[in-house]
Amino acid sequence: MASDRILDAVGLRKRFGDREAVNDVSFHVAPGETYGLLGPNGAGKTTTISIVTGLLAADAGTVAVAGQPMTPTALAPRRDVGLVPQDLAIYPDLSARENLKFFGRLYGLSGGTLEARAAEVLDVIGLADRARDRAKTYSGGMKRRLNIGIALLHRPKLLILDEPTVGVDPQSRNAILEAVERLSGAGTAVLYTTHYMEEAERLCDRIGIIDQGRLMAEGTKGELVRGIGGRDQLTVRGTGSLEAGAAALRALPGVESAGVADGTIQAAVVNAGQVLPQALAVLTEAGLSVTAANVEEPGLEHVFLALTGKALRD
Amino acid sequence: MNAVLTIAAKDIRQRLRDRSVFIIAILAPLALAFVFNLVFGGVLGGNVQLSVGVVDADEGPVSDGFAGLVDSLEAAGLLDPTSYPDAAAARAAVDDEDVGAAFVLPEGLSARVRSGQSATMEVIGNVDASTTAAIASAIAERFAASVRIGALSAATALGAGVLAPDELEAAAAEAGMAPPPVAVTAVETDTRQLTGSTYYSAGLAIFFIFFIAGLAITSMLGERSGGTLPRLIAAPIPRYAVLAGKALASILVSLGAMAVLVIGTTLLIGADWGNPFGVAILVVCAVLAVTAIMNAIGSFARSAEQGANLQSVVGIVMAMLGGSFIPISLGNPVLAAVARLTPNAWFLDGLAELQAGNVADVLPYAGVLLLMAVVWTAIGLPFMRRAVAA
Repeated sequence: MASDRILDAVGLRKRFGDREAVNDVSFHVAPGETYGLLGPNGAGKTTTISIVTGLLAADAGTVAVAGQPMTPTALAPRRDVGLVPQDLAIYPDLSARENLKFFGRLYGLSGGTLEARAAEVLDVIGLADRARDRAKTYSGGMKRRLNIGIALLHRPKLLILDEPTVGVDPQSRNAILEAVERLSGAGTAVLYTTHYMEEAERLCDRIGIIDQGRLMAEGTKGELVRGIGGRDQLTVRGTGSLEAGAAALRALPGVESAGVADGTIQAAVVNAGQVLPQALAVLTEAGLSVTAANVEEPGLEHVFLALTGKALRD
Repeated sequence: MNAVLTIAAKDIRQRLRDRSVFIIAILAPLALAFVFNLVFGGVLGGNVQLSVGVVDADEGPVSDGFAGLVDSLEAAGLLDPTSYPDAAAARAAVDDEDVGAAFVLPEGLSARVRSGQSATMEVIGNVDASTTAAIASAIAERFAASVRIGALSAATALGAGVLAPDELEAAAAEAGMAPPPVAVTAVETDTRQLTGSTYYSAGLAIFFIFFIAGLAITSMLGERSGGTLPRLIAAPIPRYAVLAGKALASILVSLGAMAVLVIGTTLLIGADWGNPFGVAILVVCAVLAVTAIMNAIGSFARSAEQGANLQSVVGIVMAMLGGSFIPISLGNPVLAAVARLTPNAWFLDGLAELQAGNVADVLPYAGVLLLMAVVWTAIGLPFMRRAVAA
């Protein structure tokens, strides 16, 4: 394992009956890095997380956390991991403070250290004023924040969040994303699974695209887009001859293709920002009265579509 | 060890916040023991006599022997006999509920026994006094067995040349009239009998503990359905610690409930549990046995609800067979044998033994309960491990 890796997963495989849930998945996470596993439901994200955290044994492959092999019976590497499971993992009949202290004790914290860390985390997750109330009286967002807070209590080197914003209201979701950004900024390595592209784009330094148990591609967003030869999408609405307008666009340098679809002109353009003024000029010359023009940069949705042949939200 | 204690403390805190535990473990058994004792306590109480009728149409040595047995049981305070001239009168007395059961020793009974022929002694029971009838039947069976032994001994002596043929009748009669072993046994039975209040207090306490002790595995299944199991097994603790912590919590809550019940029934309904040290030994061993049984049973389930249902069925069946509600196996050797498979029976018998003996006398019963705990743990452990898997 390279010394700059807090998590190193190599060749992970896991089969449930006939179904290959995880198929030769390899990735690593460096200290302070946020790595995203992006894929639809059932892609293999949670199974991968379960292997990485030692909940499940892999059929093949290895996981090392801070250089220590992670298996279902290994205890030492678990101390370096904070897990935020997909489902709420809190006790509703215990208060936030009791939940924190219970799990803190399981991670070896005690006495003044435990009290201090619990108070600190309660401040971070904004539950200090409700610390003594039972968790069942909390709103959904408060429960989510407590769910994350428990994983932070023992200051893990690697924080693993398994779709932490599913079913969360926008305000709480934003609070969670900000918390992850803060933690990453403070040097904590984060493994973040999601099927929300915007979360992956906002949070992740590198992203792994996973589908049907396979890691299709990984890299920064730019690397992934370049990897599929991504182009900006120019969409024009107007009155007049759309076909003539499309033909005029095709003659412009930087326009790779242009056609008419759904009552609009759609063109694939290299660096649309530079081409747009010329494009509007030739469209006017071609007799088109432009009412709207929109430039869309290629995103992870396009990457996912190109790699898997289907939309992420399918 | 810290992890085990941490998990146990958390589980105990959760249980104590769940008021249903107080209802199941303390209020329900206390209330039911009070009601059962009020309604049925007299039947089992050592100070209450069973009314029986006796018809002696034989008037021979065998019926004299039986009269001796009845006299000894009357002297011991167990029976309240009334003589009737014939079977019809006895049957009418039973039907009228003047007596709970009647023994009919027919004419010529002694002669048939002497001559080695089969003889019948009839017990008339009242369906509304089934316990009295069952006890009467048991007395009659034991007496018949003693008569058979006496007759067999006489016949054997004749065959061996010890007795001359003309001495046979006298020897057989003597065997029939001799204080039968059953009289001695009956005295022991009386002294080993729990009073009604103690019997129902102990029987219902052990019954309701079944519903507390099984919470270890259902709590584990609840961790799974509640989403906390992944977080528990992702923590740097061995998986067995999760199971051990939950089992420890169940045992401690059960012991606490039993302590409250022992003290509560003693103070509120006058139960006499016996030597506290002996009671403590039996309670600890019974709780361990019940914990092992219920967690093994619950481990077959896939959900907490399914586990609780399975445990309820097993708990009720064991309580019925083991005599937690009524001494169902009394006078029935098959049921008595089946009852030996339940911790309820061993616990109740151990307590009864403690009434007459000393602390050392409960050790065999405690040993059997511990053996049950070991066997059921061995049965359930592989399935319980499955419950801790992700």
